[in-house]
Amino acid sequence: MDERSLNKKLSRRDFLGITKTAAIGGVVAAGVIGGVAGYVAGTGAAPAPLTVTKTTTEVKEVTRTVPEPVKPLKVGYIYVGPIGDYGWSYGHDRGRRWADERFGKPVESIYMESVPEAEVGGAITSLIEKGVDLVFTTSFGYMDPTAEAAAKYPDKHFVHISGYRSGAAGNAPENMSAAFAEFYQLYYLNGLAAGAVTETGVVGYVGAYPIPEVVRHINAFVLGANYAYKKRTGKNIKAHVSWIFEWVAPEKARAAAIALVEEKNCDVLAFTEDTPAVLQVAEEYQKKGRRVWSFSHYSDMKEYGPTAHLTGQIANWGPIYLEFYRMVATNSWQSVDIWTRIGDYMPWRWRLPEEKSTAGKPEGTVYLAPLNPVIPSEWQREIKRRYEEMKELLFEPFSVEGNLGEPIRDQDGEVRIKVGERADHDMLWSMDWHVEYIEERLPR
Amino acid sequence: MIKYRLRPNVVVKIERRLHYPRKLSVLSTILSILIAFGVAGAALTILGADALIAYSQIIAVFITPSLLIETIKYAIPIGFAALGLNIAFRMNFWNIGAEGQIYLGMFASTGIVLLHVYYGMFPEYFVLPMMIVTSFIAGGAWCALPSFLKAKMKVNEILTTLMMNYIAIYFVDYLIYGPWRDPKGFGFPLSIPFPEYAKLTLIFGESTYLGSILFIAMATLVYCILKYTKLGFELKIVGESLDTARYAGTNLTKVITLGGFLSGGFAGLGGLTIVSGIIGRLRPRASAGYGYTAIIVTLLSTLNPWLIIPTSIFFGGLFVAGNTLQVTLNIPGATIEMLQALIFLFILFGELFKRYKITILTGGGKPEP
Repeated sequence: MDERSLNKKLSRRDFLGITKTAAIGGVVAAGVIGGVAGYVAGTGAAPAPLTVTKTTTEVKEVTRTVPEPVKPLKVGYIYVGPIGDYGWSYGHDRGRRWADERFGKPVESIYMESVPEAEVGGAITSLIEKGVDLVFTTSFGYMDPTAEAAAKYPDKHFVHISGYRSGAAGNAPENMSAAFAEFYQLYYLNGLAAGAVTETGVVGYVGAYPIPEVVRHINAFVLGANYAYKKRTGKNIKAHVSWIFEWVAPEKARAAAIALVEEKNCDVLAFTEDTPAVLQVAEEYQKKGRRVWSFSHYSDMKEYGPTAHLTGQIANWGPIYLEFYRMVATNSWQSVDIWTRIGDYMPWRWRLPEEKSTAGKPEGTVYLAPLNPVIPSEWQREIKRRYEEMKELLFEPFSVEGNLGEPIRDQDGEVRIKVGERADHDMLWSMDWHVEYIEERLPR
Repeated sequence: MIKYRLRPNVVVKIERRLHYPRKLSVLSTILSILIAFGVAGAALTILGADALIAYSQIIAVFITPSLLIETIKYAIPIGFAALGLNIAFRMNFWNIGAEGQIYLGMFASTGIVLLHVYYGMFPEYFVLPMMIVTSFIAGGAWCALPSFLKAKMKVNEILTTLMMNYIAIYFVDYLIYGPWRDPKGFGFPLSIPFPEYAKLTLIFGESTYLGSILFIAMATLVYCILKYTKLGFELKIVGESLDTARYAGTNLTKVITLGGFLSGGFAGLGGLTIVSGIIGRLRPRASAGYGYTAIIVTLLSTLNPWLIIPTSIFFGGLFVAGNTLQVTLNIPGATIEMLQALIFLFILFGELFKRYKITILTGGGKPEP
C-alpha cells in the first residue's frame, strides 16, 4: 500500500510520468504483435527464387540424374545517396543494371540507397543475412566497415568503391577489392573545352569536399583550361573554386554557381556535386542571353542544359561490376585494386585517328559526353587527339606536356612536376595543392 | 487549461492531467505503438509492399544474432546520450545538445589517441581508461557551460545547447580537414585508425560486448546517484520547483551546473563508443543524429535509467531494420525514413494523450465569455 502511494507521488512529480510497466508493456506488446506478424509473414515470405529451386529439387529426387541447378549469384549494393540524384548513386545503379543484363547467368542484385556512412556496418550485415555472395559499397566513408566485414565473413566477397584498402594493397583481407572509375583525364579535356570557349578568361569550379579526388579533378580542369586559353590568347587562365561541403546539395551548388558567375565573372563552370544543379544555372544564364557553360557529371545531363552543355565526364560502372560478378561466379576471385581510366574496358584500346575518334560516345568505364558544336573545330580536334592518346596513356595531363611545356607549379610557385615527370599513384592519390592559376587557397 | 471553440456550442478542452492511472499509461503506450505500426503498414500497402513482411523483418532484426549485435552497437551511443538526458530532464533542464556533447566526446577520445601515438604520452594500457575519463569531462564541460548560464543568468538552455551542437560539429570538421588528418590517409578527411588497445573491440572482439558492460555499469551508477545521493535528491527538487529548492537551502548554481556536467558527460561517453566502438577512427559527421534520437528515447523511458536499455535497443533496431526493409520490400529508401518518422510521431502523440485530458463539450450550455 505504502509503495503504491509512493509510486503515485513519484509519477505525479515525474514530468513525463509514464510508468515502468507502460514502457515495458509497450515493448513487449510490440514484440508479441510483431512476432505473430512475423510468423504469419514468415510462412508466406519465401522469396521468388526459391520456387525455382524447389521444382528442380523435386525432379532431382525422382530421377537423380539432373545436374545441380545453377544457383543465382546474389549481389548486394549499398549507395550513399538516393538513386534519383541523377549523379553518383544513379550512376552506380545504372552500372548494376548493366552488369545484371550482360552477365548472362542468373543473377539477383539488391540495393540499399541513402545509407548513412555511420550505419553501413548494419547494412552490410543485413545483406549478408540476405545471403549475398558479393557486396559493393559505393562511398568512401564505407571503407573501414567494409574491411571489417571482409574480415568477419571470409567466405563472402567485398568491393569498395573510391577507397584505398584492398587485399591487393595489403591493408585489407584478401576477399576485399578496391575499384574506382577515374575522371581526371576527362576533366582535363573539359578544361580544354572551357579554355576554348571562355570569353572572360575566368573559369569556376563548385567543389564538394576538399579531398584529393576532387582536388586533382580541379587541377586537371584548370590545367586544361589554361592550355587552351593561353594558346588562344597568350594569357593565363584565372580559376575560382567554391566549396559546398556536401555531395548531394543542389541548392548549395546553385548558390555557389551563381556567386561564381556574378561575383567572379566566371563563364565556364565545372563541378563535383551529384546533381545537374550547376548545369541548370548555366542554362538559365544562356536563356537570359549571358553565355555561361557547364558540363555533365557521371551521367549524360545534356537535357538539363541543351544550350549550356559543353561536354562532360560520364562513368559506366557496369564493366567493373561485371568483372567481379564473373570472378565470384567462376571461383576465380583475386583481390585487385582497379583504377580505370580512358582506354580501360574499351573494346578497342588503341588510339584512333582524330576523324575516327570515339570521343563523345559511350565506351569503357569513363568517357566523354557529346561535344557541343559551339566548341571551335580546331579545339574539338585537339580534344579528340588527346582523348585518343590517353587510351594508350601516351598523354598525361599532369606532365609538362599538359601545361604547354611549362613545369607545373603550385600556388606558392613551388615546382610540383618537373620536365620529364608524370604524376604517379601517390601524387594523384594525395594531391593537396592547387595549381598556380587558382585564386583560392585549399581549405585546411 | 486551453479551450478551443470550434462552433458556438462545441468546445474542446485540453487539460493537463495531474496524475494518471498506470493502466491508462500502459494502454496509451501500447496503443500508440500499435497505431504507428498500423498506419505505417497501411502506407506500405498503398506503395504495393507487403506490410506483414515488413513487420516480420523488423522483428527479425531483434532475433537474428548478427543483426542484434549491430542493433546494440547503435543502441549504445543512443543509450549513453539518453542516460545523460535523463539527468538533465529530471531537473527540468531541456538539454537538446546531446549531439554536440557526443562530438566533444569523440574529440576528446581521439585527442588522447593522437597524444599517445604522436607524442608517446601514457602507456598503452592507460589509453582506453584515459579516453573514457576525458570524453566524459569534455562532453560534461560542453553541457556545464549552458547549465551554468541557466543557473546564473537564466539563459534559455534550449537555445544554447542546440546552437552549441553546430559549434561542436564544425569544430570536429575543422580538426579532421586540418591538423588531425591522417598523414598516410591520402588526404581523405579521416584521423589515423585507432590502435587495437584504444578500441572497444579490445576485450571480446565485438565492440557491442564491452560497450554493453560499460553502459550497464554507468546505468547502475546513474540509478544510484539519482536514488541514494543528496545530489540525486536535489536534482529532483530543482526539477519540481525552483522555489522549493531555494527555500530548502539548495545551492542552485552548483546543483544545476553539476547536473549539466553529468548530463553532457554521459553523452560524451556515447561519443567515445562511436569512434572507439563503431568507426575505429574519427571522421566528420560521425554521429548519425544519435543525440537527437536520444531525446525520444529518454522521454519514452520515463526517466528510468533501466528502461533506457530496451528503448534504445528498440530505436537502434529501427535504424538497422530500415536497411533490411529496403532490400526485402524493394521500396525506395525515403519510404523507410517516412516509416521511422511515423513511428516516432505516433509515440509522441501517445504521450500527448497521456499527459493531457481532452474533452469535447457539445450542445446545451451558453457560450462562455
